[in-house]
Amino acid sequence: MRYAILLMGAPYSTQASHSALRFARAVVARGHRLECVFFYHDGVHNAARLAAPPQDEPHLVDGWIALHTEHGVSLQVCIAAALRRGLMDQREASRHGKAGYSVEAPFELVGLGQLVDLGLDCDRLVTFGP
Amino acid sequence: MESTEAIEGNQREGDILLVLRHAPHGSSWLREGLDIALVGAAFDRKVSLLFMGEGVLALLSGQTSGALGQKGTHPTLQMLEMYDVDALYAESAAMSRFAVAEADLLLTPERVGETAIADLLKHHDLVLTF
Amino acid sequence: MERDRWRGRETGGETIVILHVVNKAPDTGKTLEQVLTAMSGDDSLLLIEDGVLGSLPALADRCAGLPGRCYVLREDLESRGLLARQDERFAVVDIEGFVSLTEQADKTVSWY
Repeated sequence: MRYAILLMGAPYSTQASHSALRFARAVVARGHRLECVFFYHDGVHNAARLAAPPQDEPHLVDGWIALHTEHGVSLQVCIAAALRRGLMDQREASRHGKAGYSVEAPFELVGLGQLVDLGLDCDRLVTFGP
Repeated sequence: MESTEAIEGNQREGDILLVLRHAPHGSSWLREGLDIALVGAAFDRKVSLLFMGEGVLALLSGQTSGALGQKGTHPTLQMLEMYDVDALYAESAAMSRFAVAEADLLLTPERVGETAIADLLKHHDLVLTF
Repeated sequence: MERDRWRGRETGGETIVILHVVNKAPDTGKTLEQVLTAMSGDDSLLLIEDGVLGSLPALADRCAGLPGRCYVLREDLESRGLLARQDERFAVVDIEGFVSLTEQADKTVSWY
């Protein structure tokens, strides 16, 4: 089956990101195709390239990147929710005249229409809220 | 009037049901939920809104911007008709709980009880809670 | 259509229409009450994260009294030191069981 995950909790604030990553790996392990993890609301913070958790904690951002690298899962971040919260890639940063940037590939900034399409086109969409 | 009878024909069916459970201003849940409604409608999807619990307060007339110009959600609600989002439902018990009468509302949702709410969830392909 | 191939797959003779996933404890806000309002008899309920507190015997009546089936996620009970303390009316599932429940249900609705 084709799955998508919607994640709306910030990493390390609630259990949502852990649960979503754990579920994502289990979906793949059962032989399903995980098309995408969509980050919305405070979930956009999962895309922060500067996240530096202590070494004895799971590195969630790296966890998402591994999911992309190993299984081709796309990591889509709602652009409107991200920009408001200070999360932007190099292109948006230069458009907004910012010196640094906080999001990089494989995370992609996309419109909310992607979520609508995913939700209706995939066989299953599972949401993890804060 | 509370409507609990079974659905008739294609009424109460649609592609996306957004369950809005948060009041305006206190968080971005309501706004970010409504954003999906507008995007879904712009993508020609049939969107329904269920205002549940504190979410019924989103419908109250007389709302304004907050301090420091915090944007409210009432202007978005007034745009729904333009986007052809006209399948609006409000949890009857919540309207009573918050003493919100039909005459107090910006829009005219159908009041729904438990059975109708369960039916709504069943008859939409994608159900997202906010 | 791919989507329909999976529709109505059965578990133990029962078809799940909606899997409701709850991550809040019964004493936190109105989340659990909202789920119970929206749930019908052919739906299933899965408690995860802090939601697993709802499976403790003193709190379990609200969920376990439902016509639908109730599940609780093993690893979230375990990490909280609660495994084996859950009410017997709850079936304990592991993460693979969670995925399996989402396969069986037509759709999953999360409440937080």
